[in-house]
Amino acid sequence: MEDIKAYIESGILELYVLGDVTPSEKLQVEEMASRHPVIKAELDEIEHSMELFAAANAVEPPAQLRDRVLNSLLTNFSDDNNFPTKHKQPVKDNVIAMPAPKATSFYKYAFAACLALLIASVVTLFSVYNKLQDANTQLIALNSTNQKFTTTVNFMDRQLSIYRDTSFKVIKLKGTANLPKGLALVAFSPAKKKVVIDLADLNMPVNDKAHQYQLWALVGGKPVSLGVFDKDDADSSLMKEMKSVPVAQAFAVTLEPRGGSINPTMSQMMVIGNL
Amino acid sequence: MLALRRHEKIAVEALYDMYSSSLYGVISRIIVDTAVAEDVLQETFVKIWHSFASYSAEKGRLFTWMVNIARNLAIDKLRSKDFKNQNKNQELEINVTFIDEQRNTVYKPELLGIKELVQTLKADQKEILELVYFKGYTHVEAADELGIPLGTIKTRLRMAIQQLRKHFN
Repeated sequence: MEDIKAYIESGILELYVLGDVTPSEKLQVEEMASRHPVIKAELDEIEHSMELFAAANAVEPPAQLRDRVLNSLLTNFSDDNNFPTKHKQPVKDNVIAMPAPKATSFYKYAFAACLALLIASVVTLFSVYNKLQDANTQLIALNSTNQKFTTTVNFMDRQLSIYRDTSFKVIKLKGTANLPKGLALVAFSPAKKKVVIDLADLNMPVNDKAHQYQLWALVGGKPVSLGVFDKDDADSSLMKEMKSVPVAQAFAVTLEPRGGSINPTMSQMMVIGNL
Repeated sequence: MLALRRHEKIAVEALYDMYSSSLYGVISRIIVDTAVAEDVLQETFVKIWHSFASYSAEKGRLFTWMVNIARNLAIDKLRSKDFKNQNKNQELEINVTFIDEQRNTVYKPELLGIKELVQTLKADQKEILELVYFKGYTHVEAADELGIPLGTIKTRLRMAIQQLRKHFN
């Protein structure tokens, strides 16, 4: 008896009436109620008062709803007549199964759409990136070509200005016995004290890494070094300005150890030209 | 009852007239949107109609069975994602008296004084009754919401219903 009282006081019966019990608890309550009239009576009391409570809190639904509901039921009613077996299977449990939450297909589709969009975006981005890379490479190539042209134009400009400048004399240095076909052009302006050697028209063999050509000026019979230069096929478009000298009777080029010598190695004289 | 089992028209009319306002009272407190609440009432009757065979009088009162159908449908609707999205901004704390002000609450003469009774329930009893009965919380969720142990929730709920019983007797 004590157990039954405790069971009643546990509050499970109230939850049962409110439909807030698990299926196993539900079965248990029903079994207890069928075995103990006290529990059955208690349940009945609770149900009754909850019914009165609901009635006390009743809200009249709109009048037109009555027709709507009854009509929808009558439609079902005629359906039932057409399919009389439809509702004959007894449903054993009066638990009202909560319908499985409707699959939110919208989100599924939205997610799929997002994914597709993402993939498409990545593909597009990748191809755009590749194009950009190509464009960049082209741009760099164009730039370097442009630079080359600019250099060439500058050089030609300089060359032209030197040849136009009347103060410059162009001296042809001709090959010696060492280099019969050798030729070098030196532009010399005593007024501007400038000596420029034209590497573009240099007809001399390419020097090796251990050696360099050295330009000399003969001033009062003595050789004065005007600096070293290379004969380089790859970079032959230069006019190189050498060290300045105010007067000179002749210019000569010798082949010297890299860095140049203090005195010219006469045996290695390649070209020479008098003013 | 037999007429109902046989799906007779007169039976369903009687059933509607007898219980629609009580059921709508519960539904409309769970679902504030009138149009949705009306839909749920309709669904409730359709479901009662279809599953009537599963009701057995030995297991309890008809109204208990029906009101649980109504409440489950209302709660399902309330928790369905579509509805949640529509009502994201709706405060949970809409209280019962506020709804009563908006609606034509029916007062039956024999039940006069119920409002006062609900008002005179202890605050904690009223709170738990509103959560479980009108907001569709399970007692577990109510315990979470209020931060109170399950046992206490059960006791309070029982006390609240005891109070109601005392009143109706």
